[in-house]
Amino acid sequence: MDEEYDAIVLGTGLKECIISGMLSVSGKKVLHMDRNKYYGGESASITPLEELFTKYEAPAPNESYGRGRDWNVDLIPKFLMANGQLVKLLIHTGVTRYLEFKSVEGSYVYKGGKISKVPVDEREALASDLMGMFEKRRFKNFLVFVQDYREDDPKTWKDVDPNNTNMAQVYEKFGLDKNTADFTGHALALHRDDEYLAKPCYDTIRRIKLYSDSLARYGKSPYLYPMYGLGELPQGFARLSAIYGGTYMLDKPIDEIVYDESGKVVGVKSGGEMARCKQLYCDPTYVPDRVEKVSKVVRCVCLMDHPIPNTKDALSTQIIIPQKQVNRNSDIYISMVSYTHQVAAKGWFIAMVSTTVETNNPEAEIKPALDLLGPIKQKFLTVTDFYTPKEDGRDSQVFISKSYDATTHFETTCLDVLDVYRRGTGEDFDFSKVRHDLGDEEQ
Amino acid sequence: MTTLKIPEQKVILCGEYGVGKSSLFRRFTSNMYTTATDRQSTLGLDHYSKRYHVDGKDLKLQLWDTGGMERVASITSSYYKFADAAILVFSLDSPESFNMVSQHLLDIVSYAENAKIYLCGNKSDLKSLIQVTDNDMAAFCEQCQTLVAGTFKSSCKTGEGVNEMFSHIAMQLVESNRSKFELEKLTENNGLQVRHFEDSEDASKCSC
Repeated sequence: MDEEYDAIVLGTGLKECIISGMLSVSGKKVLHMDRNKYYGGESASITPLEELFTKYEAPAPNESYGRGRDWNVDLIPKFLMANGQLVKLLIHTGVTRYLEFKSVEGSYVYKGGKISKVPVDEREALASDLMGMFEKRRFKNFLVFVQDYREDDPKTWKDVDPNNTNMAQVYEKFGLDKNTADFTGHALALHRDDEYLAKPCYDTIRRIKLYSDSLARYGKSPYLYPMYGLGELPQGFARLSAIYGGTYMLDKPIDEIVYDESGKVVGVKSGGEMARCKQLYCDPTYVPDRVEKVSKVVRCVCLMDHPIPNTKDALSTQIIIPQKQVNRNSDIYISMVSYTHQVAAKGWFIAMVSTTVETNNPEAEIKPALDLLGPIKQKFLTVTDFYTPKEDGRDSQVFISKSYDATTHFETTCLDVLDVYRRGTGEDFDFSKVRHDLGDEEQ
Repeated sequence: MTTLKIPEQKVILCGEYGVGKSSLFRRFTSNMYTTATDRQSTLGLDHYSKRYHVDGKDLKLQLWDTGGMERVASITSSYYKFADAAILVFSLDSPESFNMVSQHLLDIVSYAENAKIYLCGNKSDLKSLIQVTDNDMAAFCEQCQTLVAGTFKSSCKTGEGVNEMFSHIAMQLVESNRSKFELEKLTENNGLQVRHFEDSEDASKCSC
């Protein structure tokens, strides 16, 4: 440990593991430490089940829950968009070879107290019960427009200038009513609130395209989920980093981060030793004085012995409750996975409800979501603070990631990672630096 | 255009730092040996597939190396996932590395419960320095009852016993998975791997 590194990374959450992998791949000498005994930090999947119950100080699970080590419960629920940033990162870094995925079976949206399948193509739109007959035609026209839209080809714009037209105007142009706009913006474009309506439409069009391109890849929904839980993701990137020379140390309490007189980081002290470094990358929990709390996220893990009602017994599903439907400012998300993903014992389901906290009673805020789930055997509620760094790290050379937000997919996670990498190295990550000949080829 | 997929079995190397896991890996991939001074530990080694022909059946062994993570930290649990076989490596001249085998065995049993487990005493060329005897190995297997499916001795330096071990493992895996392979041919595979869409599955090239 008494050595000099190009970079020390603290915390083995997903963001830090991706960054560590990217730095090692770029030829940097990396030391990666975690205060916990296990990989993953907040993005770990908790196993065995007893561990989860202990964590929430609940009495031990009875035998109906099956074998404890058949469970791998995520604390931060998210799905991967099949055509999204994280999948691109996984493919380009080759980390996909460590993982296996399953396609999420259904994607639903909440309207007027019940849930409906999110329509994504013309055929589904015509069959959907979300819209009346005439509205369906208008929505179909809108979908066709989005599909044909090319930002670099004004001929496809149909008089919609991507930079000077806001999304509300686009909805108006196609005559879409408030309800349709609601599920389009929240369940297809995955906006968390309604601020997007007044912004240039290109972002929303891109998001809808991402949704439908993702859908086209593997089937019934645009989402993927890794077998054995999300905790496999940071581990995959940690292995990548190790293969490229990164050194890993777990169970290392960080005693002090050391700075020189100009305030620039010079090293990290742990257990009486000091590792020196030029740069430090970490999650907010390692540098409480350099981050600020901007909001709170509530997450509720629900263990159930049945699928979510009205989802055609899907073994995995996502439900989005658009904010307006329940008089809120931010959407409520439900994501459910089950024993088929090796995250629960046979016959068990794990539903996760999450949203940004808006009141003093977060549990009451998620009630509309809990009501959709049917009987819940066991429920664990957490409210976590959402931190962002106070500085960009240029002076201190300390580069801090944001906490994990309430969204149910990894798009914002990846944007943050790429941003941290850019701040730290002054350049965008060059995917071509990753060698693709790490095994895998036949003799 | 359909190509018959050759069943692939994941085999992982486990054991203490410095017992020669990466040397076994190198022997497996290129039949080469590099001395300690020539290499920089386990940099850049991931996994490698090699085709075996057993009993009229084709099988690919996909051998995985630890990536050197065991040097200071523990190996990630995902390393063990989906493993069909695990080779517990220790060094015949190091009783300490042999005593730690039970610890690694525990990890395998908890994270890869369906893996067949093999015990491999490496560095058999060190003849006069050998401290772990055949009796010790037999006693260990007895203690573990039926957990250990086979024991081997190898020398990565001379190459002795290495190919024999992998061929033997390939044979056992073909035997024990005969019905499973037949079934996989008929049914669709469970999980999916994300990859470039342009990528077509490697059609079987000419084998070794």
